[in-house]
Amino acid sequence: MKKLNLLAAAIVVVAIFAITACTSYNENSPNPPVAVGTKVENFRLADTSGAERSLDDLKGKNGAILVFVSAQCPTVKQYNERISQFAADFAENGINVIGINSNVSESPEWVRSHAAENYKFPVLIDKGNVLADKLGASLTPEIFYLNDKNVLVYQGAIDNSSSGEEITENYLRNAVEQSSSGKPVERKTARAVGCSIKRV
Amino acid sequence: MKKVVISVFCLSSLFLLSCQTQKSDPKTSGAKTETVSNAPKVTQIDEFGLKDLLKPNGKPLLINFWATWCEPCREEFPDLVEIGTDHKDKIDLITVSLDELSEINGNVPKFLAQMGSESPAYLLKTRDQDAAIALVSKDWQGALPFTILFNAQGETIYSKQGKFKTDVLVAEIEKL
Repeated sequence: MKKLNLLAAAIVVVAIFAITACTSYNENSPNPPVAVGTKVENFRLADTSGAERSLDDLKGKNGAILVFVSAQCPTVKQYNERISQFAADFAENGINVIGINSNVSESPEWVRSHAAENYKFPVLIDKGNVLADKLGASLTPEIFYLNDKNVLVYQGAIDNSSSGEEITENYLRNAVEQSSSGKPVERKTARAVGCSIKRV
Repeated sequence: MKKVVISVFCLSSLFLLSCQTQKSDPKTSGAKTETVSNAPKVTQIDEFGLKDLLKPNGKPLLINFWATWCEPCREEFPDLVEIGTDHKDKIDLITVSLDELSEINGNVPKFLAQMGSESPAYLLKTRDQDAAIALVSKDWQGALPFTILFNAQGETIYSKQGKFKTDVLVAEIEKL
């Protein structure tokens, strides 16, 4: 029995060594984004006035677009006008935009003033980047488009030009148009460069 | 009278000479310097050029993706330069900026010069950032900075989205 225990312990030690030796060191944080098709659980976060709001309260009858934003990120600044435009456009179709700020480096006052200056939709403060971790959000701006059942339909970039001068791919608008007309979303994810979310 | 005329002439000449010097000296003219002397050359690449950079060439490769507008990128840069210098016999270091193309002869080389960076420097300009990001790593979602270390065979040994931890990265380099 003693020999078996020793053998088991040795196997465990060797296994641990093998795993750590063979895998590359991935210091990445957060988790990768949740997969398209995942149902996102309802969540509650404080908005910029301090009131607790939930996804289910804020979403539209046809869905919601969570957009991770930042008060200081230059890429978000480049996108602010487009974000406001699509928020207005999509609201007409029953899809509500909800801003999420997960940056530990941005005070609630700063987030409040930035939101008041730039957006007409609610911005929720993701204290401790809990929601960002759950969804695997890693940068700003980053989109999580949910349908009326809170299922993730599209995740990633808004379009393929941060400056707005050379847009040839309107990832988010295309996803919304296709999903809204009952068609499958052709491009379910797209990546673009942005600012890393400043996590705790 | 003659002395007065000569004096006025000399003073005027001195004044004009001073103005000319100021005009030709960009440091005192107040004009913006578009190019930076002694700054490293920054080469424009697209996703095809990036693919070539990623090909293994028999030496481990450390690549840092950054931008002048990215605060954590700027914060970690001095450590990056130091790592590149301290381990230049062991690894190649290259930096790839994701700034706008208009900065290729402006803020990008200016910042690199301020940092004392002498590593090969590139600026990635592509319409398909998604494809470019995918070329680099499946773990990269596009957030800057992004740092990745490949071994001599082109296998990923280390990657970090966001600021890297110097001691962790150095430890991985030393294991190579």
